[in-house]
Amino acid sequence: MEKTRKSKKRLKAAKELNRLVVDYYLECNEAKAVGRPVGWMPPMNGAIEIFYAMDLQPVFPENWSPVCAAFGLTPQNFEITDGLGYSRDLCGYLRNITGYVHGEMNDERIPLGGLPEPDILLSPGGGCIPVMKIFHILERRFPEAKVFYADLPQVAMEKIQRHHIDYAVSEMHRLIEFLTEVTGRELDYDRLKEVVKLSDQACALWDEIMSYRRFVPAPFSAAEIGIMFVMVTRQGTQEAVDFLTAVRDEVQEKAESGTGVIEEEKIRLFWDNIPLWYNMGLFNYFEKMGGVVVAETYSAAWSLRLDPQNPVEALAMKSLISYPLVSCVSVEKRKEMVLKACREYSIDGAILHRNKSCVPITLGQMDIKKALEVELGVPSVIIDADHMDDQNFSVAQFETRVDAFMEMLLEKKGHEW
Amino acid sequence: MSSVSVEPFVSALNESEYHLREMAREGKKIIGYFCTYTPVELIHAAGFLPVRVMGGVGEVNDAYSLAPNFICPPLLLSLEKALKGEYEYLSGIVQGYTCDVVCGMVNIWEENIGGEIYHTIPLPYNDNPASREFFRSCISELSHKMESIGGTITEDSLTESLDLYAGIRKIVLGLYDKLSAGLLPLSAADLFHVIRAGFVMSPEAYFDMLKLLQNEVENAEIPGRRGIPVLVSGSLVEDPRAFTILEEVGGRVVSDDLCTGFRNFYPPDGEGDDAVGRLIDRYMKRFPCPSRIRAKERAPLLIELVKHSGAKGVLFLFEKFCTPHLADYPILRQELIKENIPGIVVETEETGIMEGQLRTRLQGFIEMLES
Repeated sequence: MEKTRKSKKRLKAAKELNRLVVDYYLECNEAKAVGRPVGWMPPMNGAIEIFYAMDLQPVFPENWSPVCAAFGLTPQNFEITDGLGYSRDLCGYLRNITGYVHGEMNDERIPLGGLPEPDILLSPGGGCIPVMKIFHILERRFPEAKVFYADLPQVAMEKIQRHHIDYAVSEMHRLIEFLTEVTGRELDYDRLKEVVKLSDQACALWDEIMSYRRFVPAPFSAAEIGIMFVMVTRQGTQEAVDFLTAVRDEVQEKAESGTGVIEEEKIRLFWDNIPLWYNMGLFNYFEKMGGVVVAETYSAAWSLRLDPQNPVEALAMKSLISYPLVSCVSVEKRKEMVLKACREYSIDGAILHRNKSCVPITLGQMDIKKALEVELGVPSVIIDADHMDDQNFSVAQFETRVDAFMEMLLEKKGHEW
Repeated sequence: MSSVSVEPFVSALNESEYHLREMAREGKKIIGYFCTYTPVELIHAAGFLPVRVMGGVGEVNDAYSLAPNFICPPLLLSLEKALKGEYEYLSGIVQGYTCDVVCGMVNIWEENIGGEIYHTIPLPYNDNPASREFFRSCISELSHKMESIGGTITEDSLTESLDLYAGIRKIVLGLYDKLSAGLLPLSAADLFHVIRAGFVMSPEAYFDMLKLLQNEVENAEIPGRRGIPVLVSGSLVEDPRAFTILEEVGGRVVSDDLCTGFRNFYPPDGEGDDAVGRLIDRYMKRFPCPSRIRAKERAPLLIELVKHSGAKGVLFLFEKFCTPHLADYPILRQELIKENIPGIVVETEETGIMEGQLRTRLQGFIEMLES
């Protein structure tokens, strides 16, 4: 297996997804060209819907990192970041975007036209430390941008209380006032309700799509998880709902007709932590031995519902729940979620990505490993890697561990290997 | 003129585990915390003893069964100690949210070490009336939790705790003033022991010891300490050898920006209409940790500290893998260069510092500052 490799996709929707990705980045650059304010923000929060409702352009530097990884831009970005004096021990997202914004951002060699410079920065107080530090670096790099200093309680989702929600709601209102002031655009609350309704529909479709992965054989694998692009960048748009509806229909048809990812699905796998963006082909690696990755931690981030009648609180709740899901969720809650997924998706084995670039998700993995074994009898294997930096990933070590793990799982299920 | 001894503080540190075990055995609830953003006054006001969890220097073995090797050494080492039963006297952990690793580690402790209270306070990042009101709600939530395990917090008890900790901080800040002026008859390593003892002692006993030390310092011969003045910046320091080596090669620590140092003490107190308001005011105005603030806002504070202390350069002493400090460093460096303030970075690992290498590097740094 190569160190960097694209995944093999089998859903027809994958082609449509490519178009959506291109369209989105074209739209971002067009927004800049026509004077529609461009705001950079962290992903997985309720500001996205407010931006779409106010006809502002949201841009997600964190999401740009997987694009850089897919197009092989990461090494050059890392080199620039190294030159600025940043440690190689820092999160790969931080190292990639820092290098990107300090390089030739919109050079003709940059795919998709690159990112347009921000007019607005939503600089988070909350989320994980690297995402906060990314925005501190961006504030310095783009001194002309108007900065919203956001504040969001860092509280585990099961510990959210009324005062956390009230503060998050007050912050949402402060954001709306800030955007009105710096853009001169008023928020139409009826329009916001429509956007939140679309966002809620997207979440419902997301859950429905994921639920079809419970079928044996699974209709699609983690190799197709790029579909979450619409959940990151397009939540609150009709485009996302239309795309997800098409995915749902295709997946439903495959599930009900018993069309799996591979001819004979022998082993059903769970993936914990962020994928290796530079090697999404790794999800296909298991297929040669009859393995399919049918569920993952990450996809639970959009398993929530939003009340369109109470849009601001719904978005505050989305912010409170989504990002903390990866940054300050309790071990207890994570165990509960992983075990539930393993039960529902009939998982035979779990792959735990010990991710040097994401400490928050990695911490607690050993407790999850123990719980899987003790409570469900599901074996797991640790893979040492990094979601952005391929220097922290050894193909040989991966293959050795995975091959042995798969052999053990096959033997356990009475299959030959 | 009398001499000054930090021996009582060293003894208190060395014997702390025994004393804390005894206190716990006698029924005193001892609550651990990792970061100095934890409102220790509130824990104390509830009738409990707040104790800072530290890792020290050593080897990590068992902790790797629960945590990866790419997190900071103090947290790995403290988990190692906890798994060996060295923190059995704790009733749990209360923690002000600072960095992701501490947050995750609190979760791991809750899962594997146990105790009757585990709580992380989601400290607000902004300072405005709404964020202070939210902070007040968080304090109220924590108060209820502590009351649920037998604590009692009143306006009077919190006021007394605030007064006590403010008194401690004022004395230590007085020592820092003398340190900067070259009038402190203690080495940087001595001061390190004095401060560290405060993390594991009852504040009443610590305050008494500090008052005695303050008296001794006032009456001691002015040392006329020599050496090139240096400020140390970083997270927490678990191994004082770096200070000793710096002073042996001709440097002199005149101030610091450490959470086992100045950051923990400044400002000594807050202002407010009531005790909780006073508590909140102090924590919002803390000399900031990089996990709570932007480098661009820290840089002027650090430069001011350098100038005020007379330091000629900055030793950045980072715990390996410490994201907040590592991410801020390039910006801080740029700002220091603009002010012609040189700096050097040293990263520490579980086993502390590599003495030979550090000595050579610091020698070079001091020579550069001299020239």
